[in-house]
Amino acid sequence: MSRHREREVEIRVGTEALHRTIKVQVPEDDPKPWDLDSKLSVVGTDVQRLDAVAKVTGRARYAYDQAPTGLLQGTLLRAPHPKAKVKRVDVSAALAMPGVRAAIATKGPGTDFVQVRFAGDDVAAVAADTLDAAIDALEAIEVDYEVEPFNTDYLAAEGAPRRDAAGQVTDPWPEEAEVEAALAAAAIQHEATYSVAVQTHSSLEPHGFVAWYRDDELEVWASTQATFGVQAGLARALEIEQSKVRVHAEFVGGGFGSKFFAGAEGVAACRLSRDAGAPVKLMLSRYEEHTAAGNRPAALIQIRAGLDAEGHVTAWDFRNWGGPGYIGRGGSAREPAYYLQRAKRRSVQKDLATDTDSSRAMRAPGWPQGFFAAETMLDELAAKAGLDPLELRLKNDSHELRAAEWRLGAERFAWDERRNAAPGSEGGRWRRGAGLASAVWGQMGSPGRTPHKVTCRIHADGTVEARNGAQDIGTGMKTVMAMLTAEELGLRPEQIRVTMGDTRDPAGPASGGSTTTPSLAPAVRGAAVQAKAELAAAVAAHLGAAADDVTFAGGSVGTANRRLSFADAAKLIGPGSIEATAARLPNYDGFQDFVCGCQFAEVEIDTHTGVVAVRHMLAVQDCGRVIAPKLAESQVLGAMIQGISYALHEQRVLDHNVGRMLNGDFLNYKITMVRDMPSLDVVLLPVANGKNSVGAAGLGEPPKVATAAAISNAVHNALGVPVRSLPITPDRVLAALGGGK
Amino acid sequence: MKPFALFRPEADRDAQAKAGAETAFKAGGIDLLDRLKERVLAPQTVIDLMPLRANMAAIGRDADRVRLGALATLDQVARTDALRDPACTALAEAAGDAATPQIRNRATVGGNLLQLSRCWYLRNARFSCLHSGRGDTCLAQEGEHRYHAIMGTNDCIRVHPSNLAPPLYVLDAKVTVLGADGATRDLPIRDLYPEDPAAESPEHRLAADEILVAVHFAVPATGTRSCYRESREKQAHDWATTAAAVRLRLDGGKIAEAAICLGAVAPVPMARPEAAALLIGEAPSATLFAAAAERAFAEADPLDQNAYKVPVGTAVLIDALTEAARAR
Repeated sequence: MSRHREREVEIRVGTEALHRTIKVQVPEDDPKPWDLDSKLSVVGTDVQRLDAVAKVTGRARYAYDQAPTGLLQGTLLRAPHPKAKVKRVDVSAALAMPGVRAAIATKGPGTDFVQVRFAGDDVAAVAADTLDAAIDALEAIEVDYEVEPFNTDYLAAEGAPRRDAAGQVTDPWPEEAEVEAALAAAAIQHEATYSVAVQTHSSLEPHGFVAWYRDDELEVWASTQATFGVQAGLARALEIEQSKVRVHAEFVGGGFGSKFFAGAEGVAACRLSRDAGAPVKLMLSRYEEHTAAGNRPAALIQIRAGLDAEGHVTAWDFRNWGGPGYIGRGGSAREPAYYLQRAKRRSVQKDLATDTDSSRAMRAPGWPQGFFAAETMLDELAAKAGLDPLELRLKNDSHELRAAEWRLGAERFAWDERRNAAPGSEGGRWRRGAGLASAVWGQMGSPGRTPHKVTCRIHADGTVEARNGAQDIGTGMKTVMAMLTAEELGLRPEQIRVTMGDTRDPAGPASGGSTTTPSLAPAVRGAAVQAKAELAAAVAAHLGAAADDVTFAGGSVGTANRRLSFADAAKLIGPGSIEATAARLPNYDGFQDFVCGCQFAEVEIDTHTGVVAVRHMLAVQDCGRVIAPKLAESQVLGAMIQGISYALHEQRVLDHNVGRMLNGDFLNYKITMVRDMPSLDVVLLPVANGKNSVGAAGLGEPPKVATAAAISNAVHNALGVPVRSLPITPDRVLAALGGGK
Repeated sequence: MKPFALFRPEADRDAQAKAGAETAFKAGGIDLLDRLKERVLAPQTVIDLMPLRANMAAIGRDADRVRLGALATLDQVARTDALRDPACTALAEAAGDAATPQIRNRATVGGNLLQLSRCWYLRNARFSCLHSGRGDTCLAQEGEHRYHAIMGTNDCIRVHPSNLAPPLYVLDAKVTVLGADGATRDLPIRDLYPEDPAAESPEHRLAADEILVAVHFAVPATGTRSCYRESREKQAHDWATTAAAVRLRLDGGKIAEAAICLGAVAPVPMARPEAAALLIGEAPSATLFAAAAERAFAEADPLDQNAYKVPVGTAVLIDALTEAARAR
């Protein structure tokens, strides 16, 4: 870790069109950062996801698939009331039922909690021989509730603003002299209120655990995006030493921000296993996934803004009321600050608590909701000013890189042709429109509070391992590790055996904030470089050459004129194996600390039925060094698909009289499927960012930021009027057109 | 789900004899398994009709009649040559556009016609719904009803989910039922459903020990065309928000015969004879179809959240009429 022996290197960073040369102080054991001039043979090539076949054939074993001998099935009793105190829980009748092996209270006297915070909060748990026996036993648990008045509608909560029939906020703005003066001076002024519905994460694999507590040690298979966080959380909850808790997450069926913690289900599974003396599987049902495993919060966003005569944003007043559920925080909405450099601005964030499930981080938390409102507002301003939306963006966007992306995207998307110059005026039934929106994300990875590490092993039989204890949540991180290791060792990715998702391996990050790849990639490369140096020394001694002259390429090792196959070189290793562990070092200053992106959408709307069809979308996104293009594109495509679904279909529907979710399934919780998919085009803009030895940047979240906003703007263009609420369902389209309700 | 005995009959009469108040029939299982897993239904015995597929899944046409076994799948209905006649198109369209390929491969004609409403209060045991018997008011009326009925309701605003029923209405289909006496009888498809559906009315009028074994109809006269159209929020794996089946026969440029049935707007399929009557003797035109569609929805009395169904359903019906009248 010490940086006392550093060397100065020069690297060329940025893009070919927008590059500069910088000097970097590189620690002695860290390789020179890859830059615009690096010639790589594996990284950046079109490699298949290495575990693709295992996944599509069902051989990949997720937490859900674990079935140790003697496995019991666990389930949670869920409170029927949105708000109540638990006065008594008696599990004795449940325990006496045939096949029931353990039953515990998770709320009420004798536990840490008495308060039921939402309908579906956990109250007790049971493990039995079969899941049906466990569910039967739930009915035998006696619970006394002291039921309390509840509110599940954040817009009916105390502190919620008054709105008119069209949903526009009518409460006065709090005074703010500078912003108000800027607004008054603006050539164009506009004000509008926007709203977004709650979106649930809807991971295909539900939250859950297989837990096995034996011999005072705990082994769990978790569906998680934070193996080490779960390890620490379970050790605290079970009051055992962290060294006695081992967490596996070899394959994870999605998390999107909802799976950072052990949760009620994880703690209950472990307690049940301890009581029963047998392994216990406790996976949530789909209804529990929708109702008790987090969500992207609802938001009501009001903006008033002004443009000067040249089309610069000079005033920007933004207030957001977030609906994050019982937790009462986390409902903030983000704004595209890079348009607002000239503006007098204010941002007011207020959360309105309700007796509903808590929001959790969800893929770019706060960003898609805020950007939907802000980018839709910008198009409303542009329409008032008679400006093309792209022109307005180019006038105001302060990011050099995105400016290049706007131009690239506009040409590839054929913006000028697709943009409907006379929206809503032709009176035809089907109307087409095009829209665009921007994205930003600031995440280049980090060492972690204590550094993440990666181990590379080269065995005497020629096999190579790369190991880290964090999870591959589905992004393809294992393939990325194989590619980076193969790059250094002159091998092919499929020759590298990668292990992730076991807390006995070196520490790694939680998969949040789009950090896993940029945080681990430099350590993967570092470990491979160090292991390579040890093998190079052995080969050099064998050949009687200098170690510096030994190269690794094309499956062979040696000097320019004397080379061994990698397998023969490995025979020089021993006894034991070469093992090198490298730490993730702090980032250098590099090119820039964020990534940019923009998206373009074309929609076609049936004005008789109100159905919006997205016909085509383009995403232009930079993400530092692209290691595995297919996997990177897959991240962007997945985010766009999730964004289309957010824009058009997804919404949690609660019955506020009863206080429960109605569509906690995949029947009425509507997720965009294949027939609603447009053609999707992705352009990844490679940037040598010089932030570290690899220069990868996070990519999971940034492409989710712009999608709904681009679609909303395309709808506005098609109809000639905006639809200011997500999802843009047929009833809302008809209402915007002045028909229907 | 709760434990139950599974009975796999060798003949339809075995199945009928076994049936009673504590049994449930299973065909494709699309509707039933969800209800068993949600524990809104807990029969002592499930009678699996799938062993009877050999005799009950055929689709055939002889001379002027088409007969669909109750266990024929939606995929079979969508692909069969027996419905190639333009007069029968509506039925094949409805089957082929439903749900997903996986479901169409499994879901049956009988199950489609007899399924429980998809009301989100009804199918969730956590809600005390009136129609289910768990509660004493229809929660949807005061609660969330964007997908609920806009006409033909009493104290319950569920919608009938079958998308095969509207085309079968306009084709004047009959259903063949194996009764408690061991004999079969035919009844018009409209008699399968309650006349004035209330919360206490079951979705259909078959007794617990009666089995729907087939559906059949006479192929309409030459020159007849039928069409089915529905609206949805998404185009795959979704339920209709409104649906329309129509049958038209043109003679010398004028409409000589017409039938209209709406789906997804009421607790039962809604035949619209008064609207159809407006078409008779008239030449097809946009104005005519708009007038007929307006008449079809004249009795609509929507609530706040489902008012959109009126313009959407009107547009869907006009589409179906326009397509059926289109010269080919």
